Amino acid sequence: MSKPIDRREFLKVTGAAGAGAAFLAACGGGAEAPAGPDLSTGAAIPMEELIAAAQAEGTLTTIALPHDWANYGEIIETYKTKYSMEVNELNPDAGSADELEAIRANKDSKGPQAPDVIDVGVGYGPTAKAEGLIAPYKNSSWDTIPLKDAEGYWWGEYYGALVFEVSKPAIENTPVDWEDLLKPEYKGRVAMAGDVLKSNQSVQTVMASGISRVGGVDDTVESAMKAAEAGLQFWKEMNDAGNFIPVIADQGRIAAGETPLVIEWDYLALANRDALAGNPELEIVVPKTGVLAGPYAGGISAYAPHPYAARLWWEFVMGDEGQLLYLKGYAHPIRYNDMASRGVIPAELSEALPPAAAYAGAVFLTVDQLNETKKYITENWRSVVYGE
Amino acid sequence: MGELPALSTAGTVGEKKGEAPKAPPPASRKTLVDWLGVLPFFLFATMFLFIPSFSIFIRSFEKLGGGFTFDNIIALFTKSDIVNAYKTSLTISGVTALLGGVFGFLMAYAIVMGGLPTRIREFTLSFSGVASNFAGVPLAFAFIATMGNAGLITRTIETWFDLDLRQAGFSIYNSLGLSIVYLYFQFPLMILIMAPALAGLRREWREACENLGGSGGTYWRRIAFPILMPTLLGTMVLLFGNAFGAYATAYAFSGSFINLVSILVGAQIQGDVLYNPGLGNALALGMMAIMATAMVIYLYLQRIASRWVR
Repeated sequence: MSKPIDRREFLKVTGAAGAGAAFLAACGGGAEAPAGPDLSTGAAIPMEELIAAAQAEGTLTTIALPHDWANYGEIIETYKTKYSMEVNELNPDAGSADELEAIRANKDSKGPQAPDVIDVGVGYGPTAKAEGLIAPYKNSSWDTIPLKDAEGYWWGEYYGALVFEVSKPAIENTPVDWEDLLKPEYKGRVAMAGDVLKSNQSVQTVMASGISRVGGVDDTVESAMKAAEAGLQFWKEMNDAGNFIPVIADQGRIAAGETPLVIEWDYLALANRDALAGNPELEIVVPKTGVLAGPYAGGISAYAPHPYAARLWWEFVMGDEGQLLYLKGYAHPIRYNDMASRGVIPAELSEALPPAAAYAGAVFLTVDQLNETKKYITENWRSVVYGE
Repeated sequence: MGELPALSTAGTVGEKKGEAPKAPPPASRKTLVDWLGVLPFFLFATMFLFIPSFSIFIRSFEKLGGGFTFDNIIALFTKSDIVNAYKTSLTISGVTALLGGVFGFLMAYAIVMGGLPTRIREFTLSFSGVASNFAGVPLAFAFIATMGNAGLITRTIETWFDLDLRQAGFSIYNSLGLSIVYLYFQFPLMILIMAPALAGLRREWREACENLGGSGGTYWRRIAFPILMPTLLGTMVLLFGNAFGAYATAYAFSGSFINLVSILVGAQIQGDVLYNPGLGNALALGMMAIMATAMVIYLYLQRIASRWVR
């Protein structure tokens, strides 16, 4: 088969990565383009057609969806049974950066290691779009999503706030604010739930402590950068005091008491509390200041081996049913307000969350702020915190 | 780990050099068959050693997004976190190679020469075989479970002596802790390689030495050590490389919180903001240069050490 124009050029011309994937598939094995509804416009596909096309593909490949994260276990299970699909789950512990790398690494491969859909920290959405790693799709709930890319490349799915997850027998006095964590009584006890160089959650942890220190941010990049600086300073003091344990906390390490004081998204902390069921008892504290909301963004790989299954996934996850499943996993669904106004949220789900007042001062950063601070924090983490 | 297939060849090349001139030139057909025999090895070495090394070299000079640059190489010597990563990696590898070498040797001596009952001897050797391959995620978790903040040993000591080790500043999540973890596989590897070498020392040599009036010290200084030296040095270089290239163990142990070169390479290749494969390749090139230097030093020392063995 001849290649009249190179791949990048082709993508530029069509602006349609779905078609690009088809083109690649055609080049690779001489297979025909996926028969099915048009993907190039990014417009919502009618459900019946979409379900048929997805079922013809049969499988969806996901990445970085731990089953105890925002109720993904149930979400995946429901998707499987509802649409009779298979789900191939790649590395559930991957960070946002790893997810984009998985797309990059599998650009020319349609194998089972190529992810169809991603779930990344919202700051990674624009990066992925700029690099041409994701394809646009405006699902049928699009208009009621408050946080999204105007062209449909990525959209908010759910958000949570960073909280302190305190293992009760090991920690006598529960800290109530960020500065408390520096007290000598917490020596060798404070841990993050990810790797600062790779994980969005840990970068936001640094950011939240900084916001608490500078007393809040407005929507300019400058004020966010001040908070980022203060955040690194905070963790330098934490490390110098010996309070910081440089180990990545997970449910097992929390249960074992290895990391008795962890900073984590509220939905993860609450899910851990339920899963450990009192052994040990976990107290979840929304800090008094520096309450940072962290939205996660969804997207479809521009090189997805199963483009229709991917779009069906988002129709399901972003629809009321999927959104309520997030809420069941203690994550605030991004369409919360829309669903609340229509009265479709069961009372027992909204009551299971910590009181709404605790989140009243929650800070939502802009995408620009997120990108600039993420860059600053990861590049300076070592030099500021470890003096290297 | 185990990225030193070249080491074994280095050893045999050295030996063959001595033999080659003595052997009469074989018939040409036989040579062809001989070459065919080693062909798979050379193919393997080309595909998995030479081509990747060459690619690393070339890509070290690649800018992010294409184009030629010296920036990556310059960064190796100027960026303080990179220089520090090399220092940490070199220290940990050097210290664990040295400690593993010395104590592994003593342990092998105790096993082979110490007149242990056969059963204990067999057990120690089999255990070494298993332990020297125990690395990566399971090893890291094993140490966290025994010596971590809530580890078995840590908690036992805390309960017995009513201490708070964390308040005392104890933590295994630092380079010293990582060295202890590495020693867990360094030790047995040394035992595994030294034991047969020690067993190869003939009783007659010692008796000859004693008959000529030499003491135990003379025997070790003049006979045993010179014979063992090439193996001893070779194994220590192997231990050094073993620790220097380790990634999975370190990452499972403490994420990227301990600043090692291998961890930095990982962050440059996988990370999002730090994403700069050119610099990652340059870092790897630096590692190759260090390993090559270690090999050259080893070959030189081995040449001196094995002078009279030939």
